[in-house]
Amino acid sequence: MSRGDGGRGLLSGLTTALVLVFLLGPLVVVALFSLHSSASLALPFEGFSTKWYSEVFESDDFRTAVEHSLVLATATALLTTLFGTLAAYGVTRSSSRLGGAAVALFFLPITLPLLFIGIALLVALARAGVQLSMTTILIGHTIVAFPFFFLIARVALERLDPMLEEAAADLGAAPWRAFQRVTLPQVFPVLLGGGALAFMVSLDEFIITFFVSGSETTLPLYIFARLRTTIDPAINVVSTLLMTFTFLLFVFAFLMGLRAERRRARRAAALEALG
Amino acid sequence: MSTAVAPPVALRVEDVSHRYSDELALEHVSLAVHKGEFMTLLGPSGCGKTTLLRIVAGLVSPTAGSVHLHGDDVTRLPPHKRRVNMVFQRVTLFPHLDVFDNVAFGLRLAKVPKQEISTRVRDALALVRLEGFAHRRSDELSGGQAQRVALARALVNRPEVLLLDEPLSALDLRIRLEMEVELRRVHRETGATLVYVTHDQHEALALSDRIAVFDHGRIEQVGTPAEVYRRPGTAFTARFVGDANVLAAEVSVDGSGQTRVVVGGVALTIEPAQPPPAGPAWLVLRQEELSLQASDNGAGPGRLSGVVRDVGFRGSGYTYRIEVPGMPEPLKVEAPAAAAVAPGTAVAVSWLPQAGFLLPR
Repeated sequence: MSRGDGGRGLLSGLTTALVLVFLLGPLVVVALFSLHSSASLALPFEGFSTKWYSEVFESDDFRTAVEHSLVLATATALLTTLFGTLAAYGVTRSSSRLGGAAVALFFLPITLPLLFIGIALLVALARAGVQLSMTTILIGHTIVAFPFFFLIARVALERLDPMLEEAAADLGAAPWRAFQRVTLPQVFPVLLGGGALAFMVSLDEFIITFFVSGSETTLPLYIFARLRTTIDPAINVVSTLLMTFTFLLFVFAFLMGLRAERRRARRAAALEALG
Repeated sequence: MSTAVAPPVALRVEDVSHRYSDELALEHVSLAVHKGEFMTLLGPSGCGKTTLLRIVAGLVSPTAGSVHLHGDDVTRLPPHKRRVNMVFQRVTLFPHLDVFDNVAFGLRLAKVPKQEISTRVRDALALVRLEGFAHRRSDELSGGQAQRVALARALVNRPEVLLLDEPLSALDLRIRLEMEVELRRVHRETGATLVYVTHDQHEALALSDRIAVFDHGRIEQVGTPAEVYRRPGTAFTARFVGDANVLAAEVSVDGSGQTRVVVGGVALTIEPAQPPPAGPAWLVLRQEELSLQASDNGAGPGRLSGVVRDVGFRGSGYTYRIEVPGMPEPLKVEAPAAAAVAPGTAVAVSWLPQAGFLLPR
């Protein structure tokens, strides 16, 4: 009995380890070879060097790509947070039957293949005679990031006690004031986390960007363009940087969500103590 | 009370009806609450009392009728523009603010000067005996403390009417009784006009200047606790407020002008203040007006014989349920603790001729 359990434990441990190696191995290799002293991307590893980092940082194309990506990610985060908060608030506070339909529509982009959205957006922009630019990339990124943000914000807003807004109104707060002073402070960490998620989505969005970028470049486009000509450790450097940054953002978003959840749990526990 | 000039009306509800999608919650309700009065809306859950309170607060817009505060029609005014404040049934303290900021919430919105906010908040907290709690977080409070903060948060704005929606129902009995004392004291000290919603008749009787008894969206009766308890106007009020025995009776007047009341085939002696019209009626017998005797000579006028079915000890006495042949429900009797009667014992239930009265059926 205990031996059988041990065997099963070993097996599941082994499987887990294999999956992790499979998932994370390439990332470790990328990070490792970004520090490789030679241009070779294959073993044996010949020694550490930061020269590829220097090369990348000195490249104007890289710097432009980083700049564009950061501007786009920031703008996407802001726009998504604004629209997503309004949409989620509207949906959670509406008693209309159209609420359900609106939720489905807001989620729709998640279910569509990005390729499809990219082509559709490109065709629509061309028909409308809109020049491809940073703005069109921003539109594309917002479309992709919106559903993720909406999902998170809606859950957070739905968990709030609507009676708190009534209490605020009763104490003299006009609807906007009540939202600003009572609703917003309670969901703020979640919205911040959702904004960080939108930032991440924008930062490594490739497919739609590819269709609607025109002559502009972003980090993922830059990596792709370099890959087509040469395969060198500089790619690894850019990928490693992108990966690290995205990971940190993810941790931030996660911590924000956790904070809001803790606060909610404390309140729930306090209410429980009454019952 | 009768000679003094009645204080002005603080709140007047006129012919208010409300309908939730397909359900009638309030039906032609009119009520006037005087300045400084403690008015309780009492009724079972779903009777419309909370809906009326929310209509006064502006959180619900009535289907018909009007609400007046000190003579001004506020029916169409949104809640944030009405000078009424509410204490909710559930704890609705803002979780991201401490006690001080919760209480100061309304004053800050009203742009009261900072110095004044600070004194008024401290006074309000002192009033509810939470002086040292200003910087506690709202989730560090017990249930009773949280509701006292909610009371301070409402009172600090000096509302024209203070609304309380079953604020004690989530608390356990001991704290509830303590809070009743506190509420009475706060009402005495502030002279505030209070409209209090509850389904608990003991609470209503203990706290109120007047009680409005609700049932099925209508007001059954409005009166002082003593009036509502001693002279219920309807069978519902008698049952709900006094937990009295309400028996279907047949009234007839015999040849000599004597009133005869027959309940379940037994003729009873009742001496009503005013002789009721002949026909069907409700006979109301309060539990504490009935007494039990050993059943040696059976039923007779003024007494019923039955069998004890249930005994409950209440500290100061016992409550019995007596099954009487011919009656659809057992009689409820409250008797002193002197001698308990065991279930299954045959007993006679009797009462003084003045006890009991008749209501139209």
